Amino acid sequence: MNFPFKKLGLALTFSPTGLALLIEAKRLKELFNSELVLIHSGKKDDEAEKKLYEMINNSGLEKSATEIIWGYGSPASAILKAAESANIDLLIAGALEKEPVLKYYLGSVARKIMREASSSVLILKSPSENASDFKKFCVSTDYSQESEAVIKFTYQFALMEKANEIIVLRDIYTPGLSSAAIESGAPTNSDEVISTYQIEEEEKLNMFVNELNLKGIQVVIKCLYGREGWVEGNFVRKNNIDLFVVNGRAKKFYFLDKLFPNELEFFIKNLPSNLLILR
Amino acid sequence: MQLTSQNIITFLLSISLMLFFAKLLGELFNKIGQPAVVGEIVAGIILGPTVFGSLLPYAFNWLFPQNNEVKVALDGIVNLAVILLLLVSGLEVDLSVVMKEGKTAFLTGAMGIIVPFSLGFTAAYFFPNLLGIKDDSMKLAFALFMGIALSISALPVIVKTLMDLGIFKTEIGFIIVAAAMFNDIVGWLIFSVILGMIGVNNHGLNFQQTLIYLIAFTLFVLVIFRKIINKVLPWIQKNLNFPGGVLNFILILGFLSAAFTEYIGVHAIFGSFIMGIAIGDSVHIKEKTKEIIQQFITNIFAPLFFVSIGLTVNFITNFNFLIVAVILIFAFFGKVIGCGIGARFAGLNKNDSLAVGFGMNSRGAMEIILGILAFQYGLIHADVFVALVIMALITSVSSAPFMKYFLKERENLLNILSPNLILFTNFAGKNEVIGELVSLISKNLKLSTEKIYNEVIERENSIPTGIANYLAIPHARVDISKPAVAIALNKEGINFEASDGTLSRIIFLLLTPKNKNELQLKLLVDIVNKFKDKQKVEELLHSLNPADFISKLKQL
Repeated sequence: MNFPFKKLGLALTFSPTGLALLIEAKRLKELFNSELVLIHSGKKDDEAEKKLYEMINNSGLEKSATEIIWGYGSPASAILKAAESANIDLLIAGALEKEPVLKYYLGSVARKIMREASSSVLILKSPSENASDFKKFCVSTDYSQESEAVIKFTYQFALMEKANEIIVLRDIYTPGLSSAAIESGAPTNSDEVISTYQIEEEEKLNMFVNELNLKGIQVVIKCLYGREGWVEGNFVRKNNIDLFVVNGRAKKFYFLDKLFPNELEFFIKNLPSNLLILR
Repeated sequence: MQLTSQNIITFLLSISLMLFFAKLLGELFNKIGQPAVVGEIVAGIILGPTVFGSLLPYAFNWLFPQNNEVKVALDGIVNLAVILLLLVSGLEVDLSVVMKEGKTAFLTGAMGIIVPFSLGFTAAYFFPNLLGIKDDSMKLAFALFMGIALSISALPVIVKTLMDLGIFKTEIGFIIVAAAMFNDIVGWLIFSVILGMIGVNNHGLNFQQTLIYLIAFTLFVLVIFRKIINKVLPWIQKNLNFPGGVLNFILILGFLSAAFTEYIGVHAIFGSFIMGIAIGDSVHIKEKTKEIIQQFITNIFAPLFFVSIGLTVNFITNFNFLIVAVILIFAFFGKVIGCGIGARFAGLNKNDSLAVGFGMNSRGAMEIILGILAFQYGLIHADVFVALVIMALITSVSSAPFMKYFLKERENLLNILSPNLILFTNFAGKNEVIGELVSLISKNLKLSTEKIYNEVIERENSIPTGIANYLAIPHARVDISKPAVAIALNKEGINFEASDGTLSRIIFLLLTPKNKNELQLKLLVDIVNKFKDKQKVEELLHSLNPADFISKLKQL
């Protein structure tokens, strides 16, 4: 996870958002001053090639400076394989806002990429042909060293984008709370306990953010209570975040993870904003 | 059969009396830091044949008649109470928490079942006489029951203990909760299988059929129905009045599910427990909803049930010292060792593992529910039942003090203070005072002074660590296994660029292990919180010696 990304890969299809995605990827390539590789899963023939070059032209990219990798087989697997062999460190893909329930179990391309890519992944929720900078960043922390690295990365990215603010979230959750609050016999209720916990946690979060010394950008802290992933997703959705950055644990997603979603699975299932999964 | 007016009067008087005594003793036990459930059971023992019944047998029989319509009505309420209790227990179980803690929860929970179960099963199977069983045909079912009776944990008592000890929100608290949840699910599942095996109330189904229905039901509710509930709940919360609509929904589902499992011969409580899990797992269920259900069940139905336990048997005539001793020893040994080993395997240190073991040792309400069902089904005699109730009470009451004992070594600010690491200095610059503190602490920890000094100074240069009210906390994360703090009380103020513009006179050098980020934050917050009141901090400045400083700091 070194900043900035050196080699971007864009999973490109001939969907209506294809050109917009290409324009977004071009913006990021210029921002990071990195290489951009286009990965198209499909058969290489004259027609497909012509269509692709047309899109490249329309996006303003230089045809000669743009490498194209043609992947074969099932789209998601082909993209993942191509990305790995080309040593891509950020794989960009588009996502429909909400996919049909049935598709979830069949596994859509974007979801498979989010779950299984070995590189970092950027999923753009609604790519636009008028690609604009990310102004509002959000990142979640559990104070671990990995999450510290994720925040530092987000900070550098946000500085480069000249972003307005970074919101650092901390989520706490104490299952069994209502029964503990009642069993204690104290005249407290769960809400009071939660707000006490939140105040305590905000002190820690504040200390944590101060330690990171994030100068030159407004950093807002927020402590949420509730199921990990779910409450963060809601927060991001409500606050019109441009880019939500999460730590993608190096873990294969098994059936059990889908059944009992971990935090990343909540975001994958119902994308709250543009999502950057750092690996 | 109809209740006469006299029956109704007796019924109302008896439940009023039960509720009154339950509340009285429940509150009393809460006041002395014990779970209310313990007080409620004691209330039942006092109201039952053990005390009230033997002192005033006539009044007792009039208030709590043993065989007439009033008893049927009371039994109905008690049954409902148990079903509701298991429904709320299920609501509190969070499958994602169990999954998140993964290895730790699994190892702790699984070992917390395997060890006590093996002990209970072996003792009961090979030495049934020891536990008062004479009928050989019941030996296997009895042995299985004893195994599970020693394995169950009581989440409500556990979470209460964690909250009282202030570790509910910590990692260790989370592990205990997750392991207890895992333990409960597996425990109740095995118990249901045992009930199916005994074949009471199986409505003509044989054991294989019961087992198939049981597994199919559990999987259906936890995998498919759980998702349906998650989709329906937002609609209910949006379109029906709150909390009436959602409460109604939860109770209807709980009762229907309970009816189904009762039909297949594994008792109604299992159905309500599993449905509780499926409902409680939804991200849409509000904490407020759970709290309202908890309120009315914990304050009305649960006390009636716990008091009714004491009404069932005479705790003096059925007290068998040998049985009580055997069950108590096996219960403590099995659970503490089992969970302790599991937690140790999962990577916790010795004291934390023992704390987890004692935390999981609370049997509370769950043991009593298990016991009363086995007693009603004729699986155990009154003396074993009494022993189980006593075991439930003792394990619940002893959990908090034992946990406290093993957690006392945990790192908090007051634990890591040492008079040898407090200096009275008179330096002019921050580098000098940091140098002196580093050399003192590194001598104490046998570490390289230079390395630590460089790390602390590097950190200090990136953001100065002056806080406010004369405090500065230069700090760093270094290669140590435990946190350490050295303190300088400097005669003159030193500029650490504190936010309130004051010069710092109390300088805490805080070193924490590299991989424990959260611990560093916690200790920093602990120190800062001690320095909120400027007047009191000024008293600290007048400390006469290190011991005096520590005692003044403790009072802040």
